[in-house]
Amino acid sequence: MKIDTLFIDKAIPLNPEIEYLISRVKLKPRLIENTKLVYDFINDSGDPVSKAKKTLYVTKNKGAVVRQCPGTSFYTCCDYTILHTGTFCTMDCSYCILQAYFHPPVLQYFAGMEMLDQGLEKQFRQNKIFRIGTGEYTDSLIWEKLSLVPEFLVKKFAHQTNCLLELKTKTVNIESLLSLDHNGKTVLAWSLNTPEIISSQEKATASLTARLEAAGRAESKGYKLAFHFDPLVIYPGCEIHYKKVIKQIFDHIHPENIVWISLGTFRFMPKLKQIIEKRFKDSSICYGEFILGLDNKMRYFKPLRISLYKQIISCIKEYAPKLLVYFCMEDEEVWEKCMGFFPKRKGELGHLLDKSAVRHCSLNSSLL
Amino acid sequence: MSNPLHEIKIADIDLADQRYKISLSEYDISFLALSIKETGLISPPIVRPLENKVIIVSGFNRIRAYLVNNETKIPVYKTKPDIDEYQCLLTAITQLSFKRPLTHAELILSIKRLNKFLNEKQIRDKSPAIFNMELNLRFIEDLLNIGALPDPAPALIHNGNLSFKSAKKISLFEKDTIDVFLNIFSKIKASNNKQLEIILHIMEISAREGIKPKDLYSKKIIKDILFNENKDPWLKTRDLRTCLFEQRFPALSKTRKTVQKKITGLKLNKKIKFMPPENFESRDFNISFTAKTHDEFTANIRNLVDALENDSLKEIF
Ligand code: SF4
Repeated sequence: MKIDTLFIDKAIPLNPEIEYLISRVKLKPRLIENTKLVYDFINDSGDPVSKAKKTLYVTKNKGAVVRQCPGTSFYTCCDYTILHTGTFCTMDCSYCILQAYFHPPVLQYFAGMEMLDQGLEKQFRQNKIFRIGTGEYTDSLIWEKLSLVPEFLVKKFAHQTNCLLELKTKTVNIESLLSLDHNGKTVLAWSLNTPEIISSQEKATASLTARLEAAGRAESKGYKLAFHFDPLVIYPGCEIHYKKVIKQIFDHIHPENIVWISLGTFRFMPKLKQIIEKRFKDSSICYGEFILGLDNKMRYFKPLRISLYKQIISCIKEYAPKLLVYFCMEDEEVWEKCMGFFPKRKGELGHLLDKSAVRHCSLNSSLL
Repeated sequence: MSNPLHEIKIADIDLADQRYKISLSEYDISFLALSIKETGLISPPIVRPLENKVIIVSGFNRIRAYLVNNETKIPVYKTKPDIDEYQCLLTAITQLSFKRPLTHAELILSIKRLNKFLNEKQIRDKSPAIFNMELNLRFIEDLLNIGALPDPAPALIHNGNLSFKSAKKISLFEKDTIDVFLNIFSKIKASNNKQLEIILHIMEISAREGIKPKDLYSKKIIKDILFNENKDPWLKTRDLRTCLFEQRFPALSKTRKTVQKKITGLKLNKKIKFMPPENFESRDFNISFTAKTHDEFTANIRNLVDALENDSLKEIF
């Protein structure tokens, strides 16, 4: 969705970072003192979520710049680190959790690259491997069109040896990154789905082919890659469609350049259902066989998840037997039945991913 | 309203004209008839002269009670001949709502009729004076939407076959779908929660299969349940819910049945409860038993030990 309103916090200095952003957004900014004005502007709309996607608010990040991914106790999490550069998204996926996560949702750009710089310097000084991503509360690369942050981050990560940067996206906004000296420390990651799901549920995102072609271009510039099948959506014939997507990945990319592939079937907070029903009237994504999971999210009935995972994993392994495939938020039974093992110990999955990060991105192996 | 008191012949009342009838309760009026015999008429009905007859504004049951008592005359308050429809309607509603709270069905009927004279906001503003309570705009809009439902919706709401919440939900659907639900709720008897579950499952199965609820309703498996003359409405409700659940959650239903069959195959006595995990998301099966005596305790343990030899047990886990 095209941004049509730009609010800037009056306290933010008009430095080159902000001037660049204004020049890219091409809108006259409304300088404001009180965030409430933005909230009211969004909430007064009949569809606050859509309004928020077109309203950019440039402000300061009032919380921590670097955070641990929250995870939950019943499902194994991967010990990811989040770099908080902004919130929300200009694309419009029916299943997007961010619609229900923020009250109201606000497309925020956190100004102040020096804050990012300081936060990262601290991480770089630690004797530990970190996998750091910006794509948890936003799409990492929608910002490539608007700001210098993605470019700054790639350069920043290039010359250290304990942190991997993962930029996760459904766009093909990689132009400004291609020529950078990334030194192999940045992983460009694409969320993938079947063309059927992309066209019916992922409004305003790049097509599957475009994503894979972009991944191919990134690979040709030495970038390491990752893919996320999340959310996997179960519908009649989905297994065949997902296998076709996997074939397409390996038609475009060499397996040795893929750091990992994650899998996660669609799960959602119960309150998201109402939002989807209201905003995406033609979507039947919520009407699969969902049951209430142990983390109070709706999840597909477990045997259905297991069956789809098994087929996808065996298909990936046909093309790339050594590739690290992992689950995002799954439990012991799913791991055991699909992968034949379960990373039981705290931090075990994280360690597996760290090892792959070290191997692919030439991080300091003595920190493992 | 200060209407003069008259005694009129009951034969002069047009009993068929029920345009001001708000109360939907058709209770047995024999007690009211007896009471009138015993103590007389405490509050006379209100009637409106219209052409050669009079029509009832308020007091339908009192007039019925007089008829039961074989009376031919009744004291009534007569409105002025030039009174308008709106005033009569107001009288009818307020007479009832200041006597007892209106039921949902009566509220719907009242609001629908009032809406011919007042808009939603005016109804809201006047609601304390008319209904003896404040009605908010949203509620009034809901009542009007429900009031627009076709027959037999009012009767279903009145007799409890269609709850207010269910009526509100289906009032937002397209006509064919509304008809489907009115047909279903005419044939079954379900609590509010069960009605809502039936609506939800039908809408979600249809959406997932890309069909209209009408097409789902036309399936033989549904028709066989609803049109079975030998089943009472409660049993039809149970069967319909089971059938819809199986269609909404086919894999889960199948697994539940399979596991249940295997649990039955263990031949555990009735004191031992063997419960699978809810929806099979966790792996924890729950086994418990009760025992009043040492012998009972031993018998249960023996029964469980015997089950260890049963192949079904391994298949469950
Ligand atoms: S791309 Fe990601 S963040 Fe953006 S709408 Fe889709 S799911 Fe949400």
